[in-house]
Amino acid sequence: MTLEPIGRSLSDFTVELDVYSGPYEWLLALILKDELEIFEVPLRELVESYLLARRPDAANGLERDTDFAGSAAALVLLKSRTLSPAVDADTEGIEDEPLSPEELAERLTEYLKARRAAEHLRNRFATNAGHYASGHTIAPRPGSLSIEPERLSLAARQAFSRVLEPPVRHLGPITVTLQELAGIIRTALAGGPISYERLTSDMDLMNRAVAFAAALSLAQEGSLRLAQTEPLGPLILEPSG
Amino acid sequence: MSEQEWELPSPRPAHLVEAVLLVSASPLSFSDLGSATDLTESELESALACLRERYAPEASGIVLRDVAGGYLLSTNPACSGAVERFRSEARPAPLSGAAHEVLACALYLGPLTRAAVSRVRGVNSDAVVRSLIERGLLVEVGTDREAPGSPALLGVTDEFLAATGASSPDDFPTLDSLVTQEELSRVRERLASSTTAPPEADGEPS
Repeated sequence: MTLEPIGRSLSDFTVELDVYSGPYEWLLALILKDELEIFEVPLRELVESYLLARRPDAANGLERDTDFAGSAAALVLLKSRTLSPAVDADTEGIEDEPLSPEELAERLTEYLKARRAAEHLRNRFATNAGHYASGHTIAPRPGSLSIEPERLSLAARQAFSRVLEPPVRHLGPITVTLQELAGIIRTALAGGPISYERLTSDMDLMNRAVAFAAALSLAQEGSLRLAQTEPLGPLILEPSG
Repeated sequence: MSEQEWELPSPRPAHLVEAVLLVSASPLSFSDLGSATDLTESELESALACLRERYAPEASGIVLRDVAGGYLLSTNPACSGAVERFRSEARPAPLSGAAHEVLACALYLGPLTRAAVSRVRGVNSDAVVRSLIERGLLVEVGTDREAPGSPALLGVTDEFLAATGASSPDDFPTLDSLVTQEELSRVRERLASSTTAPPEADGEPS
């Protein structure tokens, strides 16, 4: 017996709707990513599609039914929330006060007219579908372009000039080379592993930075190993081999 | 071989209009066509009459449409299958019932705010409105300065008119003509019967 991965029992269920055609799982993903509006999805047709594709005799039939019922219920909830008036609707929104019979009749009459107009529009759209206009698109009209030579020259200088190097005076004079520090590190490692903090405890800021670069360089060539058991924890330099 | 020189005949008015319409993806108004072709009003009218005949649906794969306040050359819907195969794209999915209702509100009751659309439909319509604006069928045409917060007013677009084959919003039947008096009477009767129906008995007399 082969078991479907957990939560993938509907992976082979595909739907054919006006607004979407393809795997059901992708439909859910598109809705969750707001790439397909939930109000556009006819949930009744969706349920009918599942009932037609339902396989009660399958080994995972119950799991499929359960997964579909769960996801379909979530879609119903999502759709109802989408269609419900917002909680903080402004005063022009849908009122909570009960309507008088006359107001209700007026509202229903207005909605009935809108409904019939919508049906008329549906026919108009269907009748006029399939018209494709020219593929030519008009190129954007160029605006008034005036170039000042001084500004153009300045822009060119900025574009092609070298970026200023950051000042390094505050770092002080460099009194040690990378090779010298590599030698110091090798000597220290002869006595076993040593932490970076201990190695550089007597160094100034510049030498510490160069020592770090030297340690990285030595680690890269395989002369030592760098170990740090936890993020921001002590960095240990260990002899390789 | 010497290059043969062809003497181009001077284009007739219908040729000029045809050429301008061919390169336009949106409807061109009568005045736009006039200024582009430099034709007189009568020349333009006769040119359009000629083109209407030439591009009649039963005569050509291209049709001349009078939509959105202008003239537009489009493919004949009878040939849409071939066009869609050539462009490797399916026809856009039809609009939902909710979308049609929102468009109907904007067309017949607009310009109106999102809240007004929601009030007519009885449900929140913001998501539908957003989708229709993205599809270019609905547009914000102004603001309601008298309402708190000056919400945007929605109206239909020229693309909507072109998609429905309408020359202008006046090209649609009136709202009242779409609903019969019998329907309205039935609604009122049902409403009256539901509001005057006696409450169900609790089972035990008080």
